[in-house]
Amino acid sequence: MSDKEKGRYLRQLGLEEWNQEKLKSARVFVAGVGGLGSASSLYLTAAGVGLLRLCDFDRVELSDLNRQVLYSEQSLGKLKVEEARLRLAALNPEVKIETLSEKIGERNIEHLAAGCDLIMDGLDNMETRFLLNSYSVQKKLPYLFGAINGWEGMASVIHPPWTGCLACLMPSLPSPSGLIPVPGFVPGMIGLIQAAEACKHLMGVQGTLLGRLLIYDSRALTFDLIDWEKNPACPVCG
Amino acid sequence: MITVFFRAGSELRLKLNPDVDYYTRRVETEPGKALRDILRQIGLDPAFVAFAYSEGKLRNLDYVPQDGQTITLQPPVSGG
Repeated sequence: MSDKEKGRYLRQLGLEEWNQEKLKSARVFVAGVGGLGSASSLYLTAAGVGLLRLCDFDRVELSDLNRQVLYSEQSLGKLKVEEARLRLAALNPEVKIETLSEKIGERNIEHLAAGCDLIMDGLDNMETRFLLNSYSVQKKLPYLFGAINGWEGMASVIHPPWTGCLACLMPSLPSPSGLIPVPGFVPGMIGLIQAAEACKHLMGVQGTLLGRLLIYDSRALTFDLIDWEKNPACPVCG
Repeated sequence: MITVFFRAGSELRLKLNPDVDYYTRRVETEPGKALRDILRQIGLDPAFVAFAYSEGKLRNLDYVPQDGQTITLQPPVSGG
C-alpha cells in the first residue's frame, strides 16, 4: 500500500481482522444504483474495494432524491451510472469504477457480471433478482440480497452451494404493482448492512448473514434474524 | 381450541386487522391446522404472504403453529 492509501484507510487498518489487500483485489458487480445501490456502493468505495462495476439503465428523477444519496439536483435527467461514477470517484479515486447502462437480462448477465467476485443486489424487482440468483447458483458466486418496502427492509448473504438460494428463501413471487413507498433511511440502512456483509465476506471475517435473513423494521426499531435452510426440492439449486 | 398470535408489518398489517397491538392479531383456531388454512380462516389470502417466521426460524405455509405461538407474516419485499 502507498503512504496515501495507508493514510486513507488508517481508521479501518486498526481492526484486527481487517485485510485491505483482499478488498483491493475484489471486484463487485452492483446490480442497480438506486436506493440500495447508492448506499452500498458509497461505503464499498469508502472501504477501498478494488473495482465496482455499476449496472443501471435508469436516469435520475426528482423523486429519487429522497433516498438515492449519490445524486443531486444537478443529476436530474442524467444516467445514474455516470453520476454515480463521478460521485464515487471523487470520494475515492483508488477504486476502479466501471459503468454499464444496460438492463440486466438472461442474454447479457454473463457478459455484465463476468469476472466479478460478488453480486450486490440493488434491484427493484423480483424477476431480475431471480435471474441474478440463477447466475449466482450457476457460478457459485456470493449474492448479497437486499430488498425494501415501506418501513421494512431485509438482507441476506446467499452463496450456493454452501447455502440455499433465493428461490429456497422465497418461492417465485411477482413484484407488488405500483410505486413502493419508502423513506430514505430504509434503503440506507439495508445498503449499509449489505456493504458491511460484502466487506466481511471478501475478507473472510466470520459472523456474517450467510444463510441468515435480517429483517429490519424501522418503525418498530426491530432487527429480526432468521435462520433459513436450503430446500432440497428447490427447482433452482436443489 | 388453541391461540395463535399473528404479527405483520407494511401493507400486510392492514389486511391482518390487528387487535392486540399495532402489529398483532390474536386468533383462536383448531389444533393441527396449517398456517395456510388459519390465514384463510381469518380472511387473509395466503398469496399475500411471502413467508412466515417464529423463534428465529423460517416457516412455510404448511407449518402447524403451537398454542401461544407468535408467527410473523412477511409480505413480498422487492423494492430497492
